[in-house]
Amino acid sequence: MSSPPLPPPAPASAAVAISGLRKSFRVAGQTIEAVSGIDLTVAAGEIFGLLGPNGAGKTTTLRILTTLLPADGGSAHVAGADVLAEPAVVRRRIGYVSQLGGADKSATGRENLLLAGRLYGLSAADATRRCDELAEVFDLGQLLTRSVRTYSGGQRRRLEVALGIMHRPRVLFLDEPTTGLDPQNRANLWDQLRGLRAAGTTICLTTHYLDEADQLCDRVAIVDHGRVIALGTPDQLKRRYSADTITVTPDVTASALPALAGELADATSAEASVTENGVISLTVTDQTPAMAAVFGVLAGRGVNVLAASVGQPSLDDVFLRETGRSLRDAGGPESGRAAGADAAREVAA
Amino acid sequence: MTFAVQTGLFFHRKLLETLRQPVWIITGLTTPALYLALFAPLLRSLDGGPAFPPGQVLDVFVPGVLVLVAFGAGMGAGWPVIWELDTGVLERLRVTPASRLALLLGTVLRDIVMFAVPGLVVTAIAAGFGFHLHWAGLALLFLLLALLTAACSATSSALGLILKQIGGLAAVVTGVQLPLTLLAGILLPLSLGPAWLRVLGHLNPMYYAVQAARSLAAGSVATGAVGLGFLVMGALAALALWWGTRAYQQAMT
Repeated sequence: MSSPPLPPPAPASAAVAISGLRKSFRVAGQTIEAVSGIDLTVAAGEIFGLLGPNGAGKTTTLRILTTLLPADGGSAHVAGADVLAEPAVVRRRIGYVSQLGGADKSATGRENLLLAGRLYGLSAADATRRCDELAEVFDLGQLLTRSVRTYSGGQRRRLEVALGIMHRPRVLFLDEPTTGLDPQNRANLWDQLRGLRAAGTTICLTTHYLDEADQLCDRVAIVDHGRVIALGTPDQLKRRYSADTITVTPDVTASALPALAGELADATSAEASVTENGVISLTVTDQTPAMAAVFGVLAGRGVNVLAASVGQPSLDDVFLRETGRSLRDAGGPESGRAAGADAAREVAA
Repeated sequence: MTFAVQTGLFFHRKLLETLRQPVWIITGLTTPALYLALFAPLLRSLDGGPAFPPGQVLDVFVPGVLVLVAFGAGMGAGWPVIWELDTGVLERLRVTPASRLALLLGTVLRDIVMFAVPGLVVTAIAAGFGFHLHWAGLALLFLLLALLTAACSATSSALGLILKQIGGLAAVVTGVQLPLTLLAGILLPLSLGPAWLRVLGHLNPMYYAVQAARSLAAGSVATGAVGLGFLVMGALAALALWWGTRAYQQAMT
């Protein structure tokens, strides 16, 4: 007797589904493709990061998803609605915190929040209640009656994130949310975003900070020149594209180094190289057992270790492998295409 | 209903913004008062001359000043729009489900208040110096000029959204201000001028507002000039509101 066929697995509820997304701008007679065919799915309840240099197309993608910019091609669904066909539905279900933030500086924090709430259809009483609630979450209490002009950068950012979630959106988009914040305020904002995720909000943000993508995001899409060049959890990406490195400086004569390096390479099934100042560098897949093997070999031969260190892979290694450039250097004036796309965004803004 | 609520919310926001800038309230009141104090005396010698019936210099001049106040109250709308573009305020508001027309009307209604309050003050002062008050005409006059303010305000917002630069907006507004006001016969009636000037005046929509305003101020409500004035201002306001709404829809794409 054969069991009935299993039903197909229910599609994971996607908060954002993009396919073949394209957008180009005309700048000074030239067509610049800011987004050149992006496919992505963001699952409900995750913190998803678009990581890339300036001009990579991150902001343009976000502006398409938030209904601010019509795409030239492809499709985008956000919170269950088609961005192009039903922008009004999408707007009700999303929150957006732009790079500029957009708090009205001539008004008080409370006025900003109440207006935002009312525009999403909250009653005056509900808006007031929600405002008090967010004042607590974002530690804005005493500030709310003051003009936003008097806020510090970190305080204003907190208000702006609060503005984006007054109406409890299903999906929150943030464009470079921690740019310009000091480390303390960055860490606070990360905690608050994690809190929002815990409460069920899907978060989609752009960043050009490696550590932000690495530590805050559940999954990351690395974007360059309007394309997704790598996609996965930060750990997956780092493991797939780069490896741990172990460097040791053994207390042996230079002539003994190559043989020792060969032995260490065999012991860790890794590649080894010797630098001129007597350092052996091993590229290993998993550092913990490799480290044990290295010290096992060295102890067995009675070799003293002068120095040893373990290098962790970073998302920058991923970017470097894919583009030949370091993310830290990319997007500067020397990379013409990126600068052009940046200019296009400026014009579009 | 939602639309009315949203318009009210945006109006409230803009009104608060203005009340926090007392300098605008002060200049909004002093500029027309200065016209009365410094320009009206020049006209005294024209009393009884062409275009100025004896004892009625102010009856001809005050409607013109009110048109200027209405024009000025509306044409300033574009500056804060550019500031709101630059600071991301508009982008944030555009991501909300709020109506773009409501967003535009918030500013338009604020500007109408910024015309009406100084306008009433000027009228009251002028009455003390011999401007004749015709209540029905005056009520319609303020209604007519509210349409002019709406047209100017929506146009200025649209220009701000399209030009996106303070410099560009300033060049356009100051560039059109002089020919528009001179060719409307605001300070001196065009009937004083040669035929070609009067023909040019007829091509200027503001001319019809000024003609209707003078008729209304004189208490002549049911005249052709008044009908034409309302027709031209109504059409202009509708066109400008449509354009401004479109600009809000497209400004950031």
